[in-house]
Amino acid sequence: MKKLLYAILLVASATVFVARAQAQVLVIANPGVNVSEVSKNDLIDVFTGSSTSIKGTRVMPVLLAESLSHERFLREYIGKSDVPFRSAWRSLVLSGQAVMPRSLPNDAAVVQFVANNAGAIGYIGESTPHADVKVLVVK
Amino acid sequence: MKNRILAGALALALGAIPACAQSLEDLNIQIHGYAAQGFLYTTQNNVFSTNSSTGSPAWTEAVVNMTAQPTPKLSVGVQARYFLLGNFGNAINMDWAQADYKFNEKFGVRFGKVKTPMGLLNETQDIDPSYIWSLLPQDVYGILSRNSFLAHYGGVAYGTLAVGNTKAKVDWRLFGGQTVESPNDPNIQLGQQSSGIALPNGWTGPMWGATLRIKPTRSFMFGASDQIFVTTWTAVATHGTESGTNGTPASQNYYYYAKYEKNKVMIAGEYFRQPYSYWYTFPTDPALNSTGRLDQRAWYGMASYKLTDKLTVGVYDTQAFDHQQALNPARYNKDWTLSGRYDFNQYLYAKAEQHFIAGTFVDYDASKNPNGLQPSTRLTILKMGVTF
Repeated sequence: MKKLLYAILLVASATVFVARAQAQVLVIANPGVNVSEVSKNDLIDVFTGSSTSIKGTRVMPVLLAESLSHERFLREYIGKSDVPFRSAWRSLVLSGQAVMPRSLPNDAAVVQFVANNAGAIGYIGESTPHADVKVLVVK
Repeated sequence: MKNRILAGALALALGAIPACAQSLEDLNIQIHGYAAQGFLYTTQNNVFSTNSSTGSPAWTEAVVNMTAQPTPKLSVGVQARYFLLGNFGNAINMDWAQADYKFNEKFGVRFGKVKTPMGLLNETQDIDPSYIWSLLPQDVYGILSRNSFLAHYGGVAYGTLAVGNTKAKVDWRLFGGQTVESPNDPNIQLGQQSSGIALPNGWTGPMWGATLRIKPTRSFMFGASDQIFVTTWTAVATHGTESGTNGTPASQNYYYYAKYEKNKVMIAGEYFRQPYSYWYTFPTDPALNSTGRLDQRAWYGMASYKLTDKLTVGVYDTQAFDHQQALNPARYNKDWTLSGRYDFNQYLYAKAEQHFIAGTFVDYDASKNPNGLQPSTRLTILKMGVTF
């Protein structure tokens, strides 16, 4: 019985570990976006609606629905949790100062959208296939 | 004039859509909004034309907003609002309807019926989900005078300038057009109540202004706004069967403000001054002629702290004086406020707030206070809202 419990605990821990590993995020952009790296400040500006360009290149942010990747991205780069992050966007939208970025259901949808839309920039889990987009280095 | 402005915005939007979109999906059409229900209870005076001294749920707001982005630089949108507060509102109005073209970070324009970018909070003062407070400091952002300041028919030019190689930024705004207050505006109705003089066509007149916000760092901003009414405004006034004119000469409103926000802490302050004079002339009944002058000076200091991801608490102190009034409670308003907000999730929130108010300068409905106003009031507010 004890061995069974230990086995279950081990599998559960491994599952959490794998899930967390998948939540390592990459910042991706359409291949036409003329930058290969982005500062954290520029990333915050774009994903909070303060700016629509990176180093003079117009970009269009897209968001992920609630997921580990989304939470990790907000925590690591934006410094907010989901509720205040979306609340801040709604303030801009409801006062006519911005249009809410598209929110896509999963990583694959983000990759497809970013690959097919000029200026698109998003974030995905590290293990998601992303051959058709470029990865931006965040400084 | 205002119809031409709206027609122009609509024409630009409709013209851009077929030229640029291949499908509805390309337009990024989105619908957002919120609804909030408030409950007011006061000791002493009844506030905002409600029966708050016995508890009043007569405070409801709902907003629906639709936006589209036919091209990366062009966005269009419209927002409708239902508002009820005591005897005021109970109607659906258009908050704004605009076309916005952003050439680049340094320059963009929007026109139509547009939010007026004045002060620290004017553009979001009517967006209940965007802040912790149930009521903003009434001395600067009066809920009953909201329609007068919130939006205008005309345009806004805007942009953000970098300061060399530093992280500092400067946001600039220029705005101008026509301000319109309907005869149903609470401000006008309260004025009619106290003077017996109605403005059957409301108030309208040209204005322009500018706002400058300087951000030396991401966390800190300070700025100033100036709204200028360049000409004399006049409006038709009636008193019973008598017809006359209400006028006010050119004047200005000033705002100075600063805000610090980092991690869990927000601290802000603002100073507002509104000096103007006015007159009423009734050629057929000179006994009704009158002149007056207001010099409202108001300020507030506020702070909030995010205790957890879902719970935020805050406090503010606000004071206003009319330096033209005699020395009595009607000359001033002072309000200490304690506030809390709980976000159940990204859609549902609740607020609770306690006000400690002294003075009666900020608008009260005399018909709801037939025994006269008491010099101080405690106001408790509970509010629930849903946003999408």
